[in-house]
Amino acid sequence: MAASKAVQGLKHAKPILSVDRNDARRRVLNLYKAWYRQIPVICNEYHINKRPKDLNRYLRQQFDKNRNVKDLRVIDILVIKSLQDLHETKNWWKMANHVLYPLQESVNPKPTGFLSKFLEGHDP
Amino acid sequence: MLRLWPLARNCKATKALASLARCSSTGAPAKVEVFVDDKPVQVEPGTTILQACAEAGVEIPRFCYHERLSIAGNCRMCLVEVEKSPKPIASCAMPVMKGMKIKTDSEMTRKAREGVMEFLLMNHPLDCPICDQGGECDLQDQSMAFGSDRSRFTDMEHGGKRAVEDKNIGPLIKTIMTRCIHCTRCIRFASEVAGVDDLGTTGRGGDMQVGTYVEKMFKSELSGNIIDLCPVGALTAKPSAFTARPWETRRIDSVDVMDALGSNIVVNTRTNEVLRILPRTNDAVNEEWISDATRFAYDGLKRQRLTAPFVRNAAGQLEQTDWETALVKVAQKLVQVPGEKVAGVAGGLVDAEALVALKDYLNKLGSEALCTEEIFPMDGAGTDLRSNYLLNTGIQGVERADLILLVGTNPRFEAPLFNARIRKSWINNELTVAVVGTRVDLTYDYDHLGDSTKILADIAAGKHPFAQTLGKAKNPMVVVGSAALQRKDGAAIHRAVATMAQNARVQSGCGDDWKVLNVLHRVASQVAALDLGYKAGVEYIRNNPPSVLYMLGADEGALTRDQLPKDCFVIYQGHHGDRGAAMADVILPGAAYTEKDATYVNTEGRAQYTKTAVTPPMLAREDWKIIRALSEMTGNALPYDRIQDVRDRLYDVSPNLVQYGAAEDANYFKQAQELAAGISGKLEEKPLTPSLLNLKDFYMTNSIGRASQTMAKCVKAVQEMP
Repeated sequence: MAASKAVQGLKHAKPILSVDRNDARRRVLNLYKAWYRQIPVICNEYHINKRPKDLNRYLRQQFDKNRNVKDLRVIDILVIKSLQDLHETKNWWKMANHVLYPLQESVNPKPTGFLSKFLEGHDP
Repeated sequence: MLRLWPLARNCKATKALASLARCSSTGAPAKVEVFVDDKPVQVEPGTTILQACAEAGVEIPRFCYHERLSIAGNCRMCLVEVEKSPKPIASCAMPVMKGMKIKTDSEMTRKAREGVMEFLLMNHPLDCPICDQGGECDLQDQSMAFGSDRSRFTDMEHGGKRAVEDKNIGPLIKTIMTRCIHCTRCIRFASEVAGVDDLGTTGRGGDMQVGTYVEKMFKSELSGNIIDLCPVGALTAKPSAFTARPWETRRIDSVDVMDALGSNIVVNTRTNEVLRILPRTNDAVNEEWISDATRFAYDGLKRQRLTAPFVRNAAGQLEQTDWETALVKVAQKLVQVPGEKVAGVAGGLVDAEALVALKDYLNKLGSEALCTEEIFPMDGAGTDLRSNYLLNTGIQGVERADLILLVGTNPRFEAPLFNARIRKSWINNELTVAVVGTRVDLTYDYDHLGDSTKILADIAAGKHPFAQTLGKAKNPMVVVGSAALQRKDGAAIHRAVATMAQNARVQSGCGDDWKVLNVLHRVASQVAALDLGYKAGVEYIRNNPPSVLYMLGADEGALTRDQLPKDCFVIYQGHHGDRGAAMADVILPGAAYTEKDATYVNTEGRAQYTKTAVTPPMLAREDWKIIRALSEMTGNALPYDRIQDVRDRLYDVSPNLVQYGAAEDANYFKQAQELAAGISGKLEEKPLTPSLLNLKDFYMTNSIGRASQTMAKCVKAVQEMP
């Protein structure tokens, strides 16, 4: 009884874009390539003072971060969001700091200990 | 001249009459029933209609009536209709009668208010846009609520409104006398509370003027309160003129540190700047008044401030640095010297949190040399028993006392609101005051017993005639000023005073609840410091020359450079570049009382706290945090990171330090007396002279006052103006 109820609870999810793993993989690779090709252009157009190589590494990191995602629907959503982001970057709907923000280079870590807080400022 | 308040000295007769009346009736009715807008209320016989209405929850508009002043009944704004009365009645001056039917919202009442308002506005300038009272003006508010919606004032003849010349009554109060509506609150305050009969009226009707008769300064230590009392913009604050509108300011409840009473205040701030300081009502401490130093010394918080750490360089010059450099420099020095060669001295404006942090830290280093700048005799029970150093009767206790003996103190300038309490009691309760010490103007009459210490010994021994008076009093108080206890013979004076207090306590039969011995302190930090176990006075440090001296806000010059060893390393932590900072090798900038959450214990042992109103300027930091940071630098970190942890520590040391609002009393007079028997010191011949004798001494008593331009102007004006 219980088993059948559990099975009842499992519903077949409606796919967003990809119907199987191969399809999803193809989309991810296409996205990666699109970003990869765009990076030199971004550096050039946004006047980002970095080598494309470094940004490539960052790109790879971002993809690796999600390498354990197995759910096709989640993968699709991530792909769609990233595509939107790429679209916005391409179309100059951003400024240099928006592009650089995810790199978090200018953000200092918050002080933790009493002494570092004290030296940092009034009430950090 | 208006003499409006009932003279207490004459009221014996009325009391006798009242008691006669009571005898003839068959027991006076406890309460009278009146009807406010048909709602029945039970009130005490003798209350006014206005008070009865307040009890029923109806607020009557008023200008001249004020709870803490006598009744004048001259603004007529509080007119109400009373059934069976042909005319509306001034409710502030009319006592209730049985079965009175008061109508606070009838046609007649409204018409009367409208009429009064029209008359007031007819001679009141329409300068609200440039008036400092705008936004907190009673006339503005009440004309909106009760006034007519259109004006009949046409000024066909172009005669203009009544105009009155402005008066110069000193550097604190700005007068625009055309705005005056003759409520006489300022006059009544001056003659009743402040006890300075400088203000009065001249002329009658349309020609009436409030002023000082001849141009002179309103010389009172409580003068600022008439600014709050003025219902219109006739009296406004000169130092904060044209700075802000009341709706722009943030108001933060806090506590004052200019004297040892801990008056409750509201700090008004805008854009991280203190704009003005107003009193906060607390019947147990300051009622609703504050002294001029409390109200106007705030501009000292913006001048002479230490805004960055300083370190003395090889050339002997103080050089600005950052926190890391300064703390490292101090820490290096502290780890080099043995713990017992480190000493600490705390000044008068330091909060309990900083005091406990410094004490814990120096104790951790192995030092016991923690002193306060203010001296207090340590012989006998010394500061071990709290009853020895508190104002035991309490500030409110003055109102129950029938005899006060002031020893070597001038409460008028050492604690102006305590003096106002004595004056209030002197007027209303027939309090008798006697003084041993220099003859000073206390604003009330007193028996001057002399200024010699011999009188103290005589009273203590029962030889002086005053000893009998003291013994006969029902609720006597003996108040000794902390200045008197700072002399060489302080211990002997304390013993004499304690003895006479204990004798009076036994003889008068006032019971265990009533305490007689009172010490009136002058600085805000002293009671907390003594509660925490600081040694009073720097004698210990003079006898045991330290290698490192940590001065926590010590600005009164108790220790000078030449009293210390040549190579002594002096660290100063505080908020003003005053005497202490000048002699330091390292300066650590701290926060003033408006800039930190801090605990202060007032002279009666009442713990109260300030709240952060503005942030400390630039690199300045909260005081306990500086000591905490330094302790981590030297590798023996204090075990508290947050203010709550420090307060837990305060609770561990002495729970009364964090029981906010309550005055924890002490009651070991007999034991203290027994321990004091061993004191051998002799009384000196020198007369007992309080440190503050005249009004000009009152304004600059600490580093904030000394940095304040307003206070400097006051000193100048007191000396130069008639």
